[in-house]
Amino acid sequence: MSGALFLTIAYVLLAVFVVGFVVRSVRLARLPVHLRWELAPIPHEKGKGQYGGSYLEELDWWTKPREKSLVAEVRYMLLEIVFLKAVWEHNRRLWWFSFPFHFGLYLLIGAALLLGVVALGGLAGVGAVDAPALRSLTTVGVWAGYALGAVGAVGLLAKRLSDPRLRDFTPPATLLNLALLLAVFATGLGVLAMADYGEAMRAALTSLATARPAAVPGIAVAHVGVTLLSLAYLPYTPMMHFVAKYFTYHDVRWNDEPMERGSRMEREVEQLLAQPVSWAAPHLRADGKKTWVDIATEEIRK
Amino acid sequence: MSRTVLVSDIGKREGELLSPVALPDLVPLPPPYDRLDDQPRWKEISAAARENVVCNLDGFVATGLPRPKDAAEEQAWVDRFVDGLRKLLSKENNWTFLEPLLLSLEYCVKCQTCNEACPVYVGSGGQDIYRPTYRSEVWRRLVATYVKSGGKLLARFTEGPIDLNWTTLSRLYELCYRCTLCRRCAQACPIGVDNGLITHELRKVFSQELGWAPRELHEKGTVLQLAVGSSTGMAPQVVKDNIEFIDEDTSEETGLAIHSPWDKEGADVLLIHNAGEILAWPENPAAFAIILNAAGIEWTLASDEVGYDGVNYGLFYDDFQLARIALRHVQTARKLKVKKIVMGECGHQHKAMMTIADRILTGDMRVPRESCMPLLEQIVFSGKIQFDPAKNDFPVTLHDPCNITRNLGIVEPQRRILRYLCPQFREMTPHGVENYCCGGGSGFAVMSGNNFTDWRVSVGGRIKFKQILDAFADQPDPDVKKYLCAPCSNCKGQFRDMLQYYGALEKSGITYGGLVELIVNAMVDVKKPYIKWEMH
Repeated sequence: MSGALFLTIAYVLLAVFVVGFVVRSVRLARLPVHLRWELAPIPHEKGKGQYGGSYLEELDWWTKPREKSLVAEVRYMLLEIVFLKAVWEHNRRLWWFSFPFHFGLYLLIGAALLLGVVALGGLAGVGAVDAPALRSLTTVGVWAGYALGAVGAVGLLAKRLSDPRLRDFTPPATLLNLALLLAVFATGLGVLAMADYGEAMRAALTSLATARPAAVPGIAVAHVGVTLLSLAYLPYTPMMHFVAKYFTYHDVRWNDEPMERGSRMEREVEQLLAQPVSWAAPHLRADGKKTWVDIATEEIRK
Repeated sequence: MSRTVLVSDIGKREGELLSPVALPDLVPLPPPYDRLDDQPRWKEISAAARENVVCNLDGFVATGLPRPKDAAEEQAWVDRFVDGLRKLLSKENNWTFLEPLLLSLEYCVKCQTCNEACPVYVGSGGQDIYRPTYRSEVWRRLVATYVKSGGKLLARFTEGPIDLNWTTLSRLYELCYRCTLCRRCAQACPIGVDNGLITHELRKVFSQELGWAPRELHEKGTVLQLAVGSSTGMAPQVVKDNIEFIDEDTSEETGLAIHSPWDKEGADVLLIHNAGEILAWPENPAAFAIILNAAGIEWTLASDEVGYDGVNYGLFYDDFQLARIALRHVQTARKLKVKKIVMGECGHQHKAMMTIADRILTGDMRVPRESCMPLLEQIVFSGKIQFDPAKNDFPVTLHDPCNITRNLGIVEPQRRILRYLCPQFREMTPHGVENYCCGGGSGFAVMSGNNFTDWRVSVGGRIKFKQILDAFADQPDPDVKKYLCAPCSNCKGQFRDMLQYYGALEKSGITYGGLVELIVNAMVDVKKPYIKWEMH
C-alpha cells in the first residue's frame, strides 16, 4: 500500500471516529430532563454517602443547605474506573480478565499521550521532551499495556465462548469488538518484538501529524491501521460506555436535584409537559392532540 | 435441575411453559424449613383455567392475561406492541425516562455482573428467565429487529436472534411481573445500566399502549383510587368512621385519649397513610396518632378523595396514573394549606411522592414532602415522650424497604430509633441500601390472583426469608418472640403471607409489624404491651 493511500484511509477512519464520537456524545448530552431515578449510594452526599444516606434523612430538608463532597464522588469514580470495583465485588470470575483488559487500555492511552508529546516536541524542535526517562516510561507502559490487554482480550473471548452464563448474551458484534482489540494488542506486541517501537511509532505518528508519507515498518503500519479501524468502529458500539458512564452515574444514579421554582429545569419540564401524546390505551384517551399535562390533570378537572 | 433457556426461546414452543419452576430447584432454606416435604404445595393452574388465561412462562400467573380469540387478534396485539416500543423511545411520549432508558438500551456490555445481585434469580436456583438481563435482552433484540432501521441481519449481528409473535409478547408481559423493581441489579452494574428501569418501562408499554396491567394494580388499584378515593375501596366517610373506631378502640386499650384530627387547615403536618394500614394493620395509624399527639405536633389527616390514601400503584406500571394520583395528593395539601406532607410507613408512597413525582410538580404545586422517619427520629430524641427500652427487650431486626432505603437513601433515622429503643436490635446481612427486597415489591404484595402468591412467597421472597431466619439464628426457640420491623405496608403484606406460608410464628416465634408500634410499645405512658405476639 502506498504511503499516500494509507494516510488517506487513516484520515477517513479518524474522521469517522470523531464524527461518531461527537454525534453520540452530543446526543446523550441533549436528551431531555427526566424524572428523578436516583439510586443509593450517592457518594456526593456529605457525611452520609458512605452508608448510602441522602439529604432526605433530614427533617425539613428543603430548608437546609445541601452539602456535597466532590472528593467522595471522585474517589468513588476512580475506584470504579481504574479498578472496576463493581466487577470485582459482583463478578470476580470476569474481573481477572476484564481488569487487565481495561488497565492495559489505560496504559496504552497514557503511553500514546506521551508519544504524542514526544512527537510534537520533536516537531517543535524541543528536544527536552525526548528525554530518555520519558522514552523508558513509554516503553514500560506499552509493553505492559499490550501484554495486559492481550491477556484480558483472550480471556474475555474465551469466557464469552465457553461460559454458558455469557454465551447466549454474546452476539457476533461483541466477539468482533474483542477480536479487533485483540488485534490491536497483538500487532502492538509485534511492533515491540520486530522493530524499534519508539522509532516506528514516532515515524507513524509524525507522518499522520504532518500528512507526509514516511518509511514505517510493515508491522507498525498494520498496528496503526487496526488501531484506527477499532477507533472508527468504537463510537457505534456499546464500547462507548466510557462516555455513557458519565451520564448513567451523574445524570441518573446520582442526580438527586430537587425541582426548584423558577429554575431552568422547571421551564424545560413545562415545555415537555406541553407536548402532545399519542399512547393508545383507552384509559389515557390520548388523541395525539392532548398534551401530557392535559391527560395527567383530567382527574382534577373532572 | 433447571434447563438452559436461551433468550430467543421466548418466542418458541408455543403452548409449553418456557421454564417450569420446581421446588427442588430453589435455593435451600435453613432448618426447620429445609425439608421439601414440609413446604406447602404450589397451586397448579388447571387445564380449564388455561383455556381462558395465558399460562406459558413458568407455571405461575400474575397478570391473568385473557387468551385472544384468534390469530388475527394476536397479530393486532403484536402490531400495537411494536407501536408502543416506538413511542417508548420518543421524546414526546416518554420524556419522563428517555435518557435513563436509552443509556440502558445502548450501553449494556452483557457481562452478567448484575445476575448474582438479584434475589429472584438467586432464590430460584439460577433460572435463566429470572436473570435481570433476560427480559432486558429480549427487549433490546426486539428494538433492534423491529424498531430500529438496519434490518434483521444487522440486528442479529449486533444483538442476537429473536422472533416477535404472540408467544413472545404474552411471555414477556408475564415476565415483567417477575421482577420487583428493587434495583439491586442496577447497583451492581459497573456501567450504570438499570434492568429494573427496563422492566418498569416495558410495563408502561403494556399499560399505556395496549391497556394491559394486572387487575390489582389498575382496575382495583389506580382506577378505583381515582374514582372512589382509595384502592381499598373506602370512600371518605368510611375512612373517617374507621379511624374513629380505631381511635376509640386504642383509647380503651391504652388508657390514653386518642383523637385523630381531620381536615385541619394550616396544620404543620398532613399525614397520609397507605389506606391499607387502616384495614389490615389498624395498630399502625393508631400508633402514629399516639406519638404525634404525645409530641404536640400540629397534624391532620385529610378526608378529600385520594387525599387519605398514599397508595400510588402508578409508580409500578403507568406514568400517567402515577401523575394523576400524585397531583390529587398535592391538591389536597394545597387546599388544607398545610406546611408539609409526611409519608406514613409506606415505601412506594415515599418514592412516588418524594422523588418520582418531584419534577412534574411545577409552580405552586410544589408542596414540601418528607418521610415520617426523620420526624419520628426528632420526636423520639426530643425528650417530649418518656421511653423505657426494657419494654422492647426482645430480638428485633429491621427490613429495609427498597423504596425508602435504596431509592431514597433514608437509612439512619429509623436505625437510630431502633438502637435506642430495642436492646436486642440486630441487623440483617446485607442491610441498608444493599438490602434484599421482601419479594412483594412493585405491587406484588397485593397481587394474589391465580397462584401468584405461591411464587412471590416461595421464589420472590425466598432470599429475604432466609435472611430473616439468619438474623434470628442465635435464638431459634419459638418461645422466644421475635419482631421483624418492616416500616412499609406492601412489605408487611408480603411478610404476612410469607410468615403464614412457612408457619414462622409457630416454628420460630417470628412476627412482624411497623416501626411506630415499637415506639409506642416502649412508651412509659402506655401501660399494656402494644405489640401483640400473633399473626395478623
